[in-house]
Amino acid sequence: MPDSERTHRQPTFSTLEREKLFKFPPKQGSSYKILNEFVAPHIESFNALFDDSGLPSGDGNGKGLLSLGLEDIGERVIFDSTGKDTDAWGNRMRLWIDSVSISRPMVPDRNKYVKDRRVFPSETRERLASYRGRMSIKLCWTDPSGQRQEVTKDCGLAPIMVRSVRCNLRSMSSSELVKHNEEAEEFGGYFVINGNERLIRYLILPRRNHVISLLRPSFVNRGPSYTQYGVQIRCVRPDQTSCTNTLHYLANGSAMFRFSWRKQEYVIPIMLILKALVGASDKEIFEGIMMQDYDNTFLTGRVELLLRSYKMFTMRTGEQALEYLGEKFRVVLGMAEDMSNSAVGALLIRKLILVHIENPREKYRMLLFMLRKLYSLVNGTCCADNPDSPQHQEVLLPGQLYGMIIKERLEEILNAIRTFINVDIRNGSNVDFNDSLDLQQASGFTIVAEKLNWQRYISHFRCIHRGAFFAELKTTTVRKLLPEAWGFLCPVHTPDGSPCGLLNHLARTCRIVTAPLTVAHIPALLAKHGMSEPFSSCIDGRTNLCVQLDGHVIGWASPAVARQLATNLRIWKTESKNEIPMDLEIGMVPPSIGGQYPGLFLFSSRSRMMRPVKYLLNGRDDSIGPFEQVYMDISCTPEEIETGVSTHVEHNPTNFLSILANLTPFSDFNQSPRNIYQCQMGKQTMGTPSTALKHRTDNKLYRLQTGQSPVVRPALHNTYAMDAFPNGTNAVVAVISYTGYDMEDAMILNKSAHERGFAYGTVYKSQIIDLKDMKGASKTGAPTLHFGLGPEVKLHSGENENSCLKFLDWDGLPYIGTRLNSGDPIAAYVDDVTRRTKFVKYKGDEMAYVDEVRLIGEETGDAELQKVHITLRITRSPVIGDKFSSRHGQKGVCSQKWPAIDMPFSESGMQPDVIINPHAFPSRMTIGMLVESMAGKAGAMHGLAQDATPFKFSEQDTAVNYFGEQLKAAGYNYYGNEPMYSGITGQEFAADIYLGVVYYQRLRHMVLDKFQVRTTGPVDPITRQPVKGRKRAGGIRFGEMERDALIAHGTSFLLQDRLMNCSDYSTAWVCRTCGSLISLGYEDISLGEVFAAGSRKPTGPGGEYCRTCRAAAEQEDELERKALETGQQPLHPQGSLSVAISSQNVLGRSSKGGDLDVVAVPYVFRYLCAELASMGIAVSLEIQ
Amino acid sequence: MNNDGNQQNQGSMGGIPMQAPRQDMEYLCADCGAKNEIKSREPIRCRECGHRIMYKKRTTRMVQFEAR
Repeated sequence: MPDSERTHRQPTFSTLEREKLFKFPPKQGSSYKILNEFVAPHIESFNALFDDSGLPSGDGNGKGLLSLGLEDIGERVIFDSTGKDTDAWGNRMRLWIDSVSISRPMVPDRNKYVKDRRVFPSETRERLASYRGRMSIKLCWTDPSGQRQEVTKDCGLAPIMVRSVRCNLRSMSSSELVKHNEEAEEFGGYFVINGNERLIRYLILPRRNHVISLLRPSFVNRGPSYTQYGVQIRCVRPDQTSCTNTLHYLANGSAMFRFSWRKQEYVIPIMLILKALVGASDKEIFEGIMMQDYDNTFLTGRVELLLRSYKMFTMRTGEQALEYLGEKFRVVLGMAEDMSNSAVGALLIRKLILVHIENPREKYRMLLFMLRKLYSLVNGTCCADNPDSPQHQEVLLPGQLYGMIIKERLEEILNAIRTFINVDIRNGSNVDFNDSLDLQQASGFTIVAEKLNWQRYISHFRCIHRGAFFAELKTTTVRKLLPEAWGFLCPVHTPDGSPCGLLNHLARTCRIVTAPLTVAHIPALLAKHGMSEPFSSCIDGRTNLCVQLDGHVIGWASPAVARQLATNLRIWKTESKNEIPMDLEIGMVPPSIGGQYPGLFLFSSRSRMMRPVKYLLNGRDDSIGPFEQVYMDISCTPEEIETGVSTHVEHNPTNFLSILANLTPFSDFNQSPRNIYQCQMGKQTMGTPSTALKHRTDNKLYRLQTGQSPVVRPALHNTYAMDAFPNGTNAVVAVISYTGYDMEDAMILNKSAHERGFAYGTVYKSQIIDLKDMKGASKTGAPTLHFGLGPEVKLHSGENENSCLKFLDWDGLPYIGTRLNSGDPIAAYVDDVTRRTKFVKYKGDEMAYVDEVRLIGEETGDAELQKVHITLRITRSPVIGDKFSSRHGQKGVCSQKWPAIDMPFSESGMQPDVIINPHAFPSRMTIGMLVESMAGKAGAMHGLAQDATPFKFSEQDTAVNYFGEQLKAAGYNYYGNEPMYSGITGQEFAADIYLGVVYYQRLRHMVLDKFQVRTTGPVDPITRQPVKGRKRAGGIRFGEMERDALIAHGTSFLLQDRLMNCSDYSTAWVCRTCGSLISLGYEDISLGEVFAAGSRKPTGPGGEYCRTCRAAAEQEDELERKALETGQQPLHPQGSLSVAISSQNVLGRSSKGGDLDVVAVPYVFRYLCAELASMGIAVSLEIQ
Repeated sequence: MNNDGNQQNQGSMGGIPMQAPRQDMEYLCADCGAKNEIKSREPIRCRECGHRIMYKKRTTRMVQFEAR
């Protein structure tokens, strides 16, 4: 979408056009075409799964990815022999899946009542169900006589992408969409799962079919003689599944080839593969790697070692090598028993080694190239490639992931059938294996597309993630913003915090190629223009560069010829000559000393990022990718074109920004982090989530009631339908320190502005009442719970009127518009078993109104009401503590609603809606906000929609002058300052006040959701300390650092109050003798003192005693008595327990366990003592 | 008035105090907007188009709150 087609901008708000668009959505096409363009990669990649995708077929036969996947899966062969007689296998049965189909979402056949069997996404959302179509496969097999049998099997329901080729909304116009309860701007690209809109996020993957050299210290750990050098290629099959091959350099000069199969890694010497591929002689291999560079002793030495190392295998022909490979991998691959070893070897090569190439000879050539690149890396003549650079990256598209998963499942089905049959035959055990998708993560591919506001929603479809694996990486190199990303990934639009740099957003003009291209004729075309054919044997590797197309070696050319070829291709593709497709990427890497490995690399595959620029040579539009961009000279503006150097020029200097970053007005005036903050805050704004609010069932929706179109807006504001979903309000802002309530980013709201509805908002919450989940519901059979009021509920209005009738209708559902407070009944149902009416209560803390009651029936249309969805409306007028922000990363919290009579006023009698503190500007340097203020004021006075596109002004033609002149023309001060008067005294301020119009956003963070206060409240049952958490009315932790502060201040009383009295204060009895907290015993002495065995037992005044000490005293008595009887010296048992009590406190043990005291201890301490006692540790307190 | 019919209805049930609907409730189809009278324990289905979602109609009762 080159910007040259865009019409010249008019300084108008297009109010009438917009109103017309709202009233009469277009009958043909959509109201904003660009929205369908920017989700195209999502939808087209999903469409590509099917044979009727509507995409150009390119070089292929137009088959969908699913069909191609089935071809790759192939067939399974089963023999019915029991394995007892070894020579015969028995009957041969072939088993394969012939085709797979996914239907559009339809009402099930059981439902006899519907007129239109199609299911639309809006119904799925409202029913909180999933938008799915039926998937079926055609399973074929051969019977013993060799006859083909087939059966069509149902495979359940598969999710369907909205507006894809399988969706019922496909190619509907805006007016039709509105008829089907969708947004007029609905663009699809997501799935509906359980009522939520979910989408598969783009994921960055290594660029396919391109050899990258790696320097990884971790390679050394792979085994003895492994080094850090390696080259890697991610090969992609026609069905878009991939297989990564790595070539490792060994310290002895040879190389090992690595691949993985079913999560297991295998390593094969490269010579074995070279031999097996084409049966090459040693000389052929030597010449192929050397390429006449015989003076290079480094290379000759290595190749010689490589060839010598193969001698130990004693295999001379290619057939022998194949048989050897087949023998070793027969079990691993699990192929038919009647396949010969060499056939298994060939299958291994076809399925796992350089899978993007069919022909073994071409695979051989590519392997030789990989070896040359590897040796060149070790030699230092080329450098390692950076896998974190977008130059070596591409995108995993949603449809491809979907296809991979379905292919894996289908293969599993086939394998499972075979295993089952084999189990039946041999009665062996079942094997469960799981293919890997050649991806680094197994989960976290999808996200919920939250409709918080339009900006957030559309950002979801442009975000691109580096991979969950990198999120836990300690190093920050992957998060770096690289110059290679220019124009593809937005440098501004990334979250701060943990996902910073990993979660990026595509630049506005960045496209992703989704259609296969026609490139089969290119090798012949290039050969005609001076490229040597790949099979010629006398090519000098020193003076020739490799020419590759999608990872196929298609020829060799000298640097000068290669450069000429690259230029020719570029001219052809921009002028669409010789059928060169526009999206061909022409990566000409010139020879350099120690730089990137040179060559001419052409890419025509899918899922590459491309962006439009202008080619200076012929003034045509060009489409460039991140690989070729590195070697191009692209000037940002036509003014900075350097003749002889620049090859391209940007269509628009703002093209490198994402959609959201483009929407920040005058972002070129701001300090860059402020623009990053605005990208975040724009997505948290309380705006307009949807225009089909009545049909939304989201868990929580924020809505700004008084949204406005901004006076100051960038050119793209209209392009992306921002006016259909307003996100804020134009506010008159004074920059003045007036009340003292505007310190530290606080702002003051004019109370009258608030009363007129400034930033008034609403929150819509959902409550789902499903009787199936209620207590007493029957899990099977007819439902026993029914919505409604039972007979015991008096329906007469009068004295006995049930209080629920104020809220509930006869059907047990609330009246629409009813006001609910916490605890009010929201629905009633009758239990058939108990015949009682039960009530469902509204549990929220805030007052809410019933906005919509949705009765959800079963899909079959024959079941009674069991599920109700109630939309509750909660009013949220701005209060003190709510968060607001301008569009320049200047957020603030409302600190006061200041009465209008006390607000300052200007000479024309204007009062500000918002007052902010001048201190917000110097350190943050958001000049853009100051310019916006001026531009907004001038725009409001003249009735203009001001253009705030960045990079429009220069040092000679300044923004201040442009808007200053406008202000002057409107009778204001040139700089936007105005004399103002105090609202309280009426005196003029000594300074002129900067007063203007700024677009303010209300952020969704509101005090009502956040405030936390507690005096007393619930405590933890074990520790008796206050619980945490706002939801549970808990407290805020007074932690170690806070404690340190109190200690440092010496405020011990406060310390005692916080940590003891307000927490888990408790009193406990402690034994003065042994110091134990846990040995309290109690005798009720109110009924008289207890005498046991004739002696009075000592207790404290209340009857309390220490059980340990009393037991010890009694034992001592016993011993003494015994000693008296026998006349022997009493034997004191040597107690192992030593008590840490100073001697003056030990009162001669005369108390015999009766001496206890009450102390105040934290309750956790008592708990700790009990826990320690359970481990055999006694805690003893010293009481003074 | 309405309750009388209800009493008879209960009586005809033969001792089982089934809480038969006191009144037909009217709902709006979410797809075609048609008015549907659906009694308690009847399937949720639009008579016009067979759609499976209904909206409750806005109440005719006076809804009045103290505006403070």
